[in-house]
Amino acid sequence: MIYIEEAHPTDGWEMPSNLKENILIASAKTFLDRDEAAQTCMVKLGIHIPSLVDDMQDSTERAYTAWPDRLYVIDREGRLAYKSKAGPFGFHPATVGKVLQTLVGKAQL
Amino acid sequence: MSSLSERGARAWGTTRDWMPTVLKYAIPAFAVYLVLLGGLFVAMLQPPAVFGKIMSKLPAITYFLFPFKPMWLIARRGNLNVGDPAPAFTLKTLDRSQVVSLSSFRGREPVVLIFGSHT
Repeated sequence: MIYIEEAHPTDGWEMPSNLKENILIASAKTFLDRDEAAQTCMVKLGIHIPSLVDDMQDSTERAYTAWPDRLYVIDREGRLAYKSKAGPFGFHPATVGKVLQTLVGKAQL
Repeated sequence: MSSLSERGARAWGTTRDWMPTVLKYAIPAFAVYLVLLGGLFVAMLQPPAVFGKIMSKLPAITYFLFPFKPMWLIARRGNLNVGDPAPAFTLKTLDRSQVVSLSSFRGREPVVLIFGSHT
């Protein structure tokens, strides 16, 4: 996972659902802020996959047009094998599974 | 005896009578709608923090009055396409103890990138 700038920070476009669930996170002002938010997220959601944190220039988010959330699969040659539609509408993890099965199948041929 | 349609026309007027009045208000209203639609799309093209600030000021009805989803998918399409080289990155791990480069996975295994945040 790559943790990027907040989708709905308290000092930005705060959502009622976040208020209801007590997910109150302000926009990160420093890398430490973002890193802390990322760590809290991983713990609260029980995420155990390797995770990285985007820099404060949001360089990776901008390169991948990733905000607020997005999925990509990169093949062994370093090329995009799958690019989801922009989140939240296009965020469908099940599709990633199918893409990976296709990639693994090709590798075994 | 006059027909039902003739009596109706006398009571309500014919289409020719009220159409100019309807158009007098409908055309400017539609023009305003198009301007707002364009403004919303331009907002979607802004950096996330700017877009978020704008959206925080708009009422929830915005999602219903405008075709939000298709506009969003167009605005946030990005420049990358399947088959393109994945943009390189080198980022710190959560515990800040190491950095990981996308290039380190090349030739090894496919990589899934899940972008997101807690909010």
